[in-house]
Amino acid sequence: MSYPSYTPTSRSFDPGDYPAKAYRSQSGVEVRILYGNKRTGLKLSLTYSNITDAAAQAFVTHYDEMKGTFNVFFINTGTKNGWEGSASSIDVPSGNAWRYEKAPQLNQVRPGISAVTVDLIGVL
Amino acid sequence: MAKVYTGRDGALQLAGSTVAKVVNFSFQSDLETLETTTLSDNIRSYAPGVVGYSGSASLLYYKEDSGSINTTDVLSKLIKAGTAGVSSTDTVELTFRWIDGTDNNDIKMTAYVTSASMGAATAELVRAEISFIGTGALSTATI
Repeated sequence: MSYPSYTPTSRSFDPGDYPAKAYRSQSGVEVRILYGNKRTGLKLSLTYSNITDAAAQAFVTHYDEMKGTFNVFFINTGTKNGWEGSASSIDVPSGNAWRYEKAPQLNQVRPGISAVTVDLIGVL
Repeated sequence: MAKVYTGRDGALQLAGSTVAKVVNFSFQSDLETLETTTLSDNIRSYAPGVVGYSGSASLLYYKEDSGSINTTDVLSKLIKAGTAGVSSTDTVELTFRWIDGTDNNDIKMTAYVTSASMGAATAELVRAEISFIGTGALSTATI
């Protein structure tokens, strides 16, 4: 099962950073060493408000199929709907994939209607 | 026959008996709306949420020839001695009625009295201002 293709009601994206370490000498000179050529540690927080319980269930099912936070996956175009820039700019770069940072948070607001919050992290 | 209703056609009933000296009453129904607009939408959309009922009434504070007070049955649900407070049985059965001869249009509901205020002022009649909120479904809605 692929990641559910629903358009979120809000989306927050953190582009992460390249792995690097900075060393500062007593004189104040800083030396920075780049340890990789791929950005990592991206974060994507998605909220799906007032969706059907069946749609909310799809996120729980997918989380289970990914063995929780263990397996990686890719998101689809529906997740990026509404973004008018390049779709790739709010997705993981080549070589990365998403995994769940934590379990989806499901909040039922009335019979048949729920809200789901999903936090993803981009990893190599 | 066509009819325009006026205040003279209104009646407020408590447990099936018309409350005396009602100056005015109002009834309100509200629908909670749940926004379903997503990031790709330009127009807002909603799903229906929970419906609620509430209202208010203003009654003259009136003593019958028998000595009973017309507001007692309503006010006693909220204004009471003791430390027990309001319990789940402290509801009132209210009927809002608009009368056309023998033809009645009714809204009937079970409600809690949520506020009640009374006072006295020079050259004014004493009134009891009451607000209530419905609990559960309407038992009658012939509006």
